[in-house]
Amino acid sequence: MSKTKKPSIRDYLYEPPGPRTRTWIRVGTALALGLIAALVYAVIHQFAVTGQLKAKYWSFFSRWTTWRFIGQGLLTTVEVALTAAAITFAAGFLLMRGRLSRHAILWRLSAGLISFTRGVPTLLFIYFFFLVVPRTGVKLSAFWKIALPVAISACGVVAEAFRGGVNAVPRGQREAALSLGMTERRAFYRILFPQAFRYIIPTLIAELVIVLKDTTFAYIVSCADLMQNARVLISNYDALVSTYLVVAVIYILINYGLNRLSENLAGRESRRKTA
Amino acid sequence: MSEHPVIELRHVEKHFGELHVLKDINLSVARGEVVVVIGPSGSGKSTLCRTINRLETIDSGEIRIDGERIPREGKNLARLRSQIGMVFQSFNLFPHRTVLDNVTIAPVDVLRIPKKQAREEALRLLERVGVGDQARKVPAQLSGGQQQRAAIARALAMHPKAMLFDEPTSALDPEMIGEVLNVMTELAREGMTMLVVTHEMNFARRVASRVIFMENGSILEEGSPESFFTHPQTQRAQAFLQSIQDH
Ligand SMILES: Nc1ncnc2c1ncn2[C@@H]1O[C@H](COP(=O)(O)OP(=O)(O)OP(=O)(O)O)[C@@H](O)[C@H]1O
Ligand SMILES: [Mg+2]
Repeated sequence: MSKTKKPSIRDYLYEPPGPRTRTWIRVGTALALGLIAALVYAVIHQFAVTGQLKAKYWSFFSRWTTWRFIGQGLLTTVEVALTAAAITFAAGFLLMRGRLSRHAILWRLSAGLISFTRGVPTLLFIYFFFLVVPRTGVKLSAFWKIALPVAISACGVVAEAFRGGVNAVPRGQREAALSLGMTERRAFYRILFPQAFRYIIPTLIAELVIVLKDTTFAYIVSCADLMQNARVLISNYDALVSTYLVVAVIYILINYGLNRLSENLAGRESRRKTA
Repeated sequence: MSEHPVIELRHVEKHFGELHVLKDINLSVARGEVVVVIGPSGSGKSTLCRTINRLETIDSGEIRIDGERIPREGKNLARLRSQIGMVFQSFNLFPHRTVLDNVTIAPVDVLRIPKKQAREEALRLLERVGVGDQARKVPAQLSGGQQQRAAIARALAMHPKAMLFDEPTSALDPEMIGEVLNVMTELAREGMTMLVVTHEMNFARRVASRVIFMENGSILEEGSPESFFTHPQTQRAQAFLQSIQDH
């Protein structure tokens, strides 16, 4: 394998910049970096002025129990997110199959569910599971009260992503498969979907990030996720800014990791295709 | 020995909305025959070809494969389709699989032939069309001519009763057309029943048992290559042949 830089989507979308453009890019980058540095300085300065950098707001982070507490919350967050993601990917797949089906009833039902779940904000689904579902006598743990609504709210988007991917596969692929005697179903699973998956991966991972962010509503149903535990720390130590900063960094790191994963997978796929 | 034509169309009609694309098409292809379909763009050649394995539905009339009427859907339709090979203008190899997998996937999945046996046969077929050394590559690594020959091998792996070709060389660079036509000529000589839509008049002259001239959704003329190319009956056919020679 060659060590040359793999081409990114940018290389296909834009011409390589000329010398003049490159100068402008450099000037722009320098300006932007300067601006960001100034902003960070201003924020830190302001924190210092308002006393947010005082030791009492930070010292509890040197304690092992604090990190264990954060770790427990993080674990719950990851569990909720993965469960919700698994459910939403499965439901999204089923909805996509329904949406692409030739049966009018299935088709309409799926299309309706997709629009519905896409149109309603996550928070409403959460309140539904928090306030309405218990009244019907159905007892759910806090875990499911957050995992289910988050999954439901994402599944319409996932279904549309799946459908977009399947439709992006050239028509001739289906026809070739059928002409070889494959049934529609076999053609779908053997030929169309494996190819569609390549187009879908980035959207799925973007959706995973959204699911992860949506789990931060877990405090509403008192599920002890990262966010909820952060709120406990905040009230225990009266340390709002420092705790939120640490938690934000954790979320950013996870999402950054997911984005890198997405790029790696996409890169591997495109390399495999032209290998 | 069956006395049925391998492919038979009777009074086939087809519309795309308002557009009448196939008008009372009657055509039969006997075992071992090579029928070449020619005609101007938009005359319905591809549609005719695609109705035969029901990639396009028809409005009325009937289509029989080896005496059996094409079912509308389901397992039986798939089974009948598997008996007719189809070669597309744009190859349509499966890009996510190796060339070898492209040739084995349908025999293994559809005919339930053991993997090992399917592989051996696939390699033999790939060898036969001259791309045996490309078996482990993915389609994108092959030239157009190699891809089209692999696509022919893929269709042959199903042991079809007939092969349909829809302009198999139209997407190829001129220097690759010959290698594909050679494979097709070889197939015809071995007795394969073929229906070929093409603009390659030399191929039609040398290989066709019969030439069919279509225009505007109808079969205007039908005959042996000698009589068609030397004495076309209709003015439309004369004009069409003239226009091709001018190129
Ligand atoms: N799916 C479709 N929907 C609507 N109209 C179509 C469709 N497919 C083909 N047509 C139209 O039907 C007519 C016949 O098309 P067809 O592709 O069979 O012609 P052709 O003889 O193969 O032409 P060419 O030499 O350009 O391939 C054309 O006018 C075409 O525009
Ligand atoms: Mg055509």
